[in-house]
Amino acid sequence: MADADHFDKLKQAIIDQDEDEVLEAVNAALADGIGAKTVIDQGLLPGLNVIGEQFEDEEIFLPELMQAALAFQAAMTILEPKIKEEGTAGEKKGVVVLGTVKGDLHSIGKNILKLLYETSGFEAHDLGIDVDLFSFINKAKEVDADIIAISALLTTTLVGQRDVIDALKDAGERDRYKVLVGGGATTREWAESIGADGWAATAYEAVTLSTSLVS
Amino acid sequence: MIDLIEVFDRAETGPLISETDYYMKRYVPKLSEVIARHKVKWDKQTIINTDDTLTDAVFEAAVDLIAEAGAYCPETNRVMQFSRDEIEVACAQAPRGATFGEGRERKTMYGRRPDATDDRPWVHVGGGIYTSDEQVYMVTVEKMASFSIVDSVSVPSILHLRGKDSRVRSPREILAACKTVRLAREGIRRSGRAGLPIINGISAASQPASMFAASYPDFGLRPSDGFLIDFLSEMVVGYEALQKVAFYNSISANIGSTSTPLFGGYAGGAEGVAVTATAYMIMGNLVFRGSYHYNAPLHSKLHLSSTKPLIWAIAMSNAAIGRNMGYPMVNLPYLGGGSGTKQYHYEMACYMLAVVTSGGNVFSGHPAMAVQSDSLVPDDHRFHAEIGLAAAKLTRAEAEPIAQKLFPLFGDKLKDPDKGLTFQEVYDMQTKRIVNAEYQKAMDEVREELAGMGLEVPVS
Repeated sequence: MADADHFDKLKQAIIDQDEDEVLEAVNAALADGIGAKTVIDQGLLPGLNVIGEQFEDEEIFLPELMQAALAFQAAMTILEPKIKEEGTAGEKKGVVVLGTVKGDLHSIGKNILKLLYETSGFEAHDLGIDVDLFSFINKAKEVDADIIAISALLTTTLVGQRDVIDALKDAGERDRYKVLVGGGATTREWAESIGADGWAATAYEAVTLSTSLVS
Repeated sequence: MIDLIEVFDRAETGPLISETDYYMKRYVPKLSEVIARHKVKWDKQTIINTDDTLTDAVFEAAVDLIAEAGAYCPETNRVMQFSRDEIEVACAQAPRGATFGEGRERKTMYGRRPDATDDRPWVHVGGGIYTSDEQVYMVTVEKMASFSIVDSVSVPSILHLRGKDSRVRSPREILAACKTVRLAREGIRRSGRAGLPIINGISAASQPASMFAASYPDFGLRPSDGFLIDFLSEMVVGYEALQKVAFYNSISANIGSTSTPLFGGYAGGAEGVAVTATAYMIMGNLVFRGSYHYNAPLHSKLHLSSTKPLIWAIAMSNAAIGRNMGYPMVNLPYLGGGSGTKQYHYEMACYMLAVVTSGGNVFSGHPAMAVQSDSLVPDDHRFHAEIGLAAAKLTRAEAEPIAQKLFPLFGDKLKDPDKGLTFQEVYDMQTKRIVNAEYQKAMDEVREELAGMGLEVPVS
């Protein structure tokens, strides 16, 4: 099979959100001598791009996005050891630490964001919901993050976003990270008032903005 | 019906499962299965469904979804399971009416049936929008309560104390919650209708402790008001919700079971939202012992409820419950247009035509996705209540062509809605009269346009 045919199969398997089909296509490509990084860059990531566009256009929804991400993650369990062997590890777009602020238990928007980050080539570290402000900062230090993305849905939890920024300033580390805020209770004006680096109305916008911030 | 203690036990005895597995191995596949099994399908054009074979299929799919997926308790990581018999008994024994208020304002909100053109729906106005100033707060509540067609109010929130906003779970939040209730009750008293009920519970409270504190009778709330208890999307029944269930059942208060299924989230598209919204209403009685339901499906990206598939799904869930359960419902719209804009009025008219003809009661909606402070403008809400009462005289079949005419007037604006006005930009703070001529003109013009489309909206 020609390389281009392998790439088409890999891409389609991701678009179909079919884990078995993805694994079969990955193994077939590797067996034909295609490098692991090439499998990702020319097969799986183009499929994930289509998935991201379909999600943005409301042709598919969160369950399908999750299914595609799970299929991609399954493929990576095969590909990551190969990449190490090949010494072809590529650059990630960036490293993101994300979560919902202290006192806020809402997760769906943040879960969508995590999936879109992962399927767009970012390394995403999801701290979950009800996250202590120092957990954001400590994790960002630990993984040498580029971006801290903070969600808040409730008006009474908005201040948690400001607290993270203030704590970064107090620690003299504000310039080390880009801070993005979002969530149902937030507005662009709010983001500007607390000195965030960016605000996004949707998860897709957040990923687009993040890409521009780290490039 | 299974008793409350048994419900609580289900959160401690059901199968253990991680949250991700609950969604990916239970809720999501079961939702797909029940949608396919019952042939639930939106045709991508209809706004108000009139096919009651489909309506009843949505109800059956919702019953199947609860029976097969259960609810999820994140504190115990367990699935709360209910048998089909238990669910059907809860539907059969659900309240058909909820009585609110005191004295001469004491009235009953009933569950309505689709196409019930000969009843007067309950009229609820307002919303929990953030308010920046105590005077604005008081006048907002007073004006809303003073409208004679209004049966109950949702009061805005006021979070600041000594110039600082309260934060979640702080002692300041408890004080803000108590203050909200005191001011709201005083605003209602000033309207001359002291017994009028507040049915959005405590808008400034995000935690049980704040709700319970502000429920202390001296602050002015009574069991005959309504207290909202939320499902966390999707199908999540958390301990905070169950704590509220325990408390408000213990004081025999009206409970408003509340749900916000997300279009584009785990529920997927129109069909998934319709089925999940219906399931929440059933669980509102089964799990929360609700007296009424606050139905608030929302778009996960746009943060509003006025897209075509969402209005279809919301109306469908009203019809499904109206035909098969009779539980009293109001629907909380989050609209894109700001206060006083024609877009806001068009969205509300389209939404009201759909839900009121499908069996919902009348509830005015949040402008500007509820994120603009001081945007609760009472005369918007009177107008929207009037639209709701006018819509109640129509059948779904009569309402559908009007809704189809309205949708193009706002559909393309939902991604970038028109900005609106604040309370202070509309009213004279001393006389409390409208002083913004453009505001009044826009409303008058929309009233004329609606009449031209076949919806006469008399001034109350």
